[in-house]
Amino acid sequence: MKMMLILLALPAFILPFSCLIYIIVQAWPALSWALILPTDVTIPPLGDAFSGVASSGLWNQIGGSLLMMFLACLLATPIALSIALFHSLWATVYQKRILLSLLQVLQGIPPIVYGLCGLILLVHYLNWGISLAAGGVILAVVILPLLSMNAIHALERIPIEHTESAKALGLSHGAVIGRVWLPAAWPGMLTGLLLAMARSLSETAPILFTATVFSGITWPDSIFSPVTSLQTHIFYLAQEGSNAQSVHIAWASAVVLLGLILCFSLSAHFLRRYEGSV
Amino acid sequence: MKHMGNTPLVYLLIITGCVLAISCISVLLWFLGDASWQFWQAFGLSPLWADEWYPYESLYGLLPAIIGSFWVMIIAMMIAVPCGLSAAIVSSEILPLSWQSWIRMGMEILAGIPSVVYGLIGLWVLLPWLQNIFDLLTGHSLLAAGMILSLMILPTMMVMAQDALRLIPLEQRETAMSLGLNWNQRLCRILLPQAWPGIRSGILLGLGRALGETMAVMLVVGSLDRVPQPIYNILEPAQTLTSRIGREMGEAAFGSMHFSALMACGLVLAATAIFLSLLSQQHRGRLNV
Repeated sequence: MKMMLILLALPAFILPFSCLIYIIVQAWPALSWALILPTDVTIPPLGDAFSGVASSGLWNQIGGSLLMMFLACLLATPIALSIALFHSLWATVYQKRILLSLLQVLQGIPPIVYGLCGLILLVHYLNWGISLAAGGVILAVVILPLLSMNAIHALERIPIEHTESAKALGLSHGAVIGRVWLPAAWPGMLTGLLLAMARSLSETAPILFTATVFSGITWPDSIFSPVTSLQTHIFYLAQEGSNAQSVHIAWASAVVLLGLILCFSLSAHFLRRYEGSV
Repeated sequence: MKHMGNTPLVYLLIITGCVLAISCISVLLWFLGDASWQFWQAFGLSPLWADEWYPYESLYGLLPAIIGSFWVMIIAMMIAVPCGLSAAIVSSEILPLSWQSWIRMGMEILAGIPSVVYGLIGLWVLLPWLQNIFDLLTGHSLLAAGMILSLMILPTMMVMAQDALRLIPLEQRETAMSLGLNWNQRLCRILLPQAWPGIRSGILLGLGRALGETMAVMLVVGSLDRVPQPIYNILEPAQTLTSRIGREMGEAAFGSMHFSALMACGLVLAATAIFLSLLSQQHRGRLNV
């Protein structure tokens, strides 16, 4: 029985690291600093756009992904904070249950559905077009449940005695929030924010039709212009498939994207440990 | 105490944020229903069991995609549940405690790999492999999509099961040991029944994830709008709800019937996901009591 379980479990322990190693090995030929650092972009001649894109660096794609991530977090963080504060300041037990179950339902809805909703509302009805703003708003909605649940849990972990003694000292709600809750809850909230950043970097489907184009864009002029992003870049290159150079670039983009995501998610991992030790 | 002491301002912020969140989400979902209304009005509910999808001849049958989604979910669960569950048992009951952090980190890496990169791995590793083994034309198949998905829901499964096992109080294990139960009996009679609610909601969450995953599935499933022949043939290229939306959204004109039909696919997807999520919550609620 034990042997059988270990045998069944083996893939779960080996696969993460073998996937990581395989991706890096595949990307090795194309990895270089020139790929990541900004280069002077030469506009490729018409009809040769594909090889042109494949040979230029990934700087713009990285920039586009990060821009969209920042926009999403900027929009979602205040809303998530206010939901968490509502949860811990005013909500009755019944309201708390409704709120949590609503957040879980929202988290369960596939991201591509949010993408569809955004496509109708933002891109067509509000006429924003395929734009950075639409992508940011959609990603903000996608990460909102995750962020608010983390903030709620961070606030819930504060011992009730702290809050009660602060109130007994006659502090106003604002002071309780600023001087008692915030110092105690920030590691948990930061963990949530880091996880949300990683999540918004890895979401591809909702921004595929609403925010990104494959080529021709170096840097968005305004928030209402389309961007290029690392995630969709990988997708387009993977679909082309035949050209060896573009395949290597796809793997290299995967390594860059994975590096960014692991930066955020592993620092969340260590922050959570730090929080546990404090 | 002047710091952040302006309480009405804080209240105003909180109320604005909550109203914004509620209106934002309800408006988004309402537009989904609104856009697919045209489709439901024209065809009624019959597309749900019609099996032909040719948008240019006004044939909109959702059945092939629904069957595809169903098979992909089943295959993914059949691989991920035994593997994730036994990994959770091994890591929390057999291996020393100092390894746990590494295993958690491995799971976090696996969960952190974005879906499109899984698609890339599927395209370059899995498809040629399946092509050789089963002697297929291309490796594009429901089986490939299911295998890639099982890799993606493995972390969810394992972390949920591990947490459920860890929550079992130490006294239970000690009592079981002092009764002279051996390892197998302790596992099957004491640990697994107690951890079952957590494991079940892990399974349901994984199902929801498998249902909604788009990019990886889209790259390996083959996008052929046909009910598999015979229906259990998982080696054929097929289509899932998500991959259909992903493939055809770019070419459907806004406001056309095709667009509306894709919105209907999205609505079916959202309804199923909400159902699964409520099912997993109902159970978790019972756990807390």
